[in-house]
Amino acid sequence: MKTSIVGLGQTEFSKNSGRSELRLATEAILAAMADAGLEVNDIDGLVRYTWDNTTEAAIVNALGLPSLKYYGETEFGGVNCCGAVAQASAAIEAGLASCIVFYRTLNARSGVRYGRGERILSEEDGRLINRQPEPPGDIYSAPFGLLVPGQHHALYAQSYKGQYGLSDDQFTDMLGSVAVTQRAYANNNPNALLRDKPLSMDDYRAGRVITEPLRIYDYCLETDGAMAMVIVSRERARSMGVKAVDVLSAGQYIYPGSVPMFLYAPVTHTLAPPEAGEDLFGKAGLKPSDIDVAGIYDATSMMVPLALEDFGFIGRGEAHQFLTSGGNGPTGALPVNTHGGLLSEGYFHGLNTIAEMVRQLRGESPNQVDAETAFITLRGASSMILGRA
Amino acid sequence: MTVIRPGDEYLAQPFWTHLANGTLHLSTCEDCNKAHHPPSPICPHCRSFNIGWKPASGKATLNTYAVARHAVHPLLADQVPYTITLVDLEEGVRLVSGIPNGMEVDLEIGMPLECKVVKIDDQLSLPYFLPAGAADQDQ
Ligand SMILES: [Zn+2]
Repeated sequence: MKTSIVGLGQTEFSKNSGRSELRLATEAILAAMADAGLEVNDIDGLVRYTWDNTTEAAIVNALGLPSLKYYGETEFGGVNCCGAVAQASAAIEAGLASCIVFYRTLNARSGVRYGRGERILSEEDGRLINRQPEPPGDIYSAPFGLLVPGQHHALYAQSYKGQYGLSDDQFTDMLGSVAVTQRAYANNNPNALLRDKPLSMDDYRAGRVITEPLRIYDYCLETDGAMAMVIVSRERARSMGVKAVDVLSAGQYIYPGSVPMFLYAPVTHTLAPPEAGEDLFGKAGLKPSDIDVAGIYDATSMMVPLALEDFGFIGRGEAHQFLTSGGNGPTGALPVNTHGGLLSEGYFHGLNTIAEMVRQLRGESPNQVDAETAFITLRGASSMILGRA
Repeated sequence: MTVIRPGDEYLAQPFWTHLANGTLHLSTCEDCNKAHHPPSPICPHCRSFNIGWKPASGKATLNTYAVARHAVHPLLADQVPYTITLVDLEEGVRLVSGIPNGMEVDLEIGMPLECKVVKIDDQLSLPYFLPAGAADQDQ
């Protein structure tokens, strides 16, 4: 890719924004353009998730943008967070647009909640009816009570635990190391929803079990707010005098049974085949040991050990050792989710994961590490490598 | 107890009507004879449109499981905890299944399971998979 991320914008994260999703989106977009030092009228492209309720037309009309030459949409929500950046980059390289904003706006706590069954069930004559064609919570899953993403993650978690024969205590220590480490990052992050709530290993162990083997602290937060980021060509970024971050490689990767929920994937204790990483790192001309910091999409804590192994940062079955010895911490071999992650900063369908890696490479993270390269993935379904400009 | 039902338009489809008649059938290619799930108009193995329905042997192994302790809908409050499973059928397909509410079984990944079709009402029956032996017991 020959593009750069040149601006970040966001609203506050909250449990009740008190504003419409359109209002939140426009606030975030204005902030991102100001951060990039560009005029709002410079926007000539937009990318978004199909799951976003706020369309490109709504943005164009609300902001009075003079023209939009490209808009791209991508399915499955945060599954394709890095793919949206790849799409914007490809559009810029193809000359379809020159300044593309990737936005996400959602009242996911005060509005429709992804963690609740109501989203996919209707009550008719006292009966619960499901008409969902695809997971999560589709007609083949829902009758057995498999309804929401967090329950799917418990299935991968149990599969991993069984594959490597981890005891209950070992498994608890492994995931607890993710949750506790990320909470400590969040406690130092003024944007984080849980900045004022410390979490000890004892607190973690005492956490309520939601879907065994996952506890409440293994789950991400439902959040209200909006985020936006600005993508331009690398050449243009160099002339702008802002702190740009280069997209070194970005792409999507799905295979039969994988997306949306990996229910039918041949193997369930690993989610991304080796080719996904080889392709991504090959295009960036880097290898896993070259990466300084990682943003791993953590709808649950289980996504962290899986991604570390799937992309070769550690060997198969080594996640317990790596995480319980602080490998993901500020002085570890690979600091992970230094904003606190979706577990402790907020759930923005991966845009906040990308944003934190951009901040790390700009030297603006609340938990700054020495970083020239950053890796981001959602279960291998979309992934990206960023580099300091 | 509230059972989550696919809409009637789905229950009219062969996967569900076969179950309502008491057997698990799989969407199966008439040309290469391989099954697939969920049902599809085209065979993912040989891309034939010649798709039919064949009874499953009912033999499977446990791929993984999870125990839901938190009810994600108010009408499910009286059902938790309940066990969700992913099972790998002898025919090479994966199904989402579970353990019927109130049944105590010890699960271990990789263990053999057998299908037990449980009737909910005239329209809806569900394919549960239980450890060999447990499938024969009354609930
Ligand atoms: Zn076939």
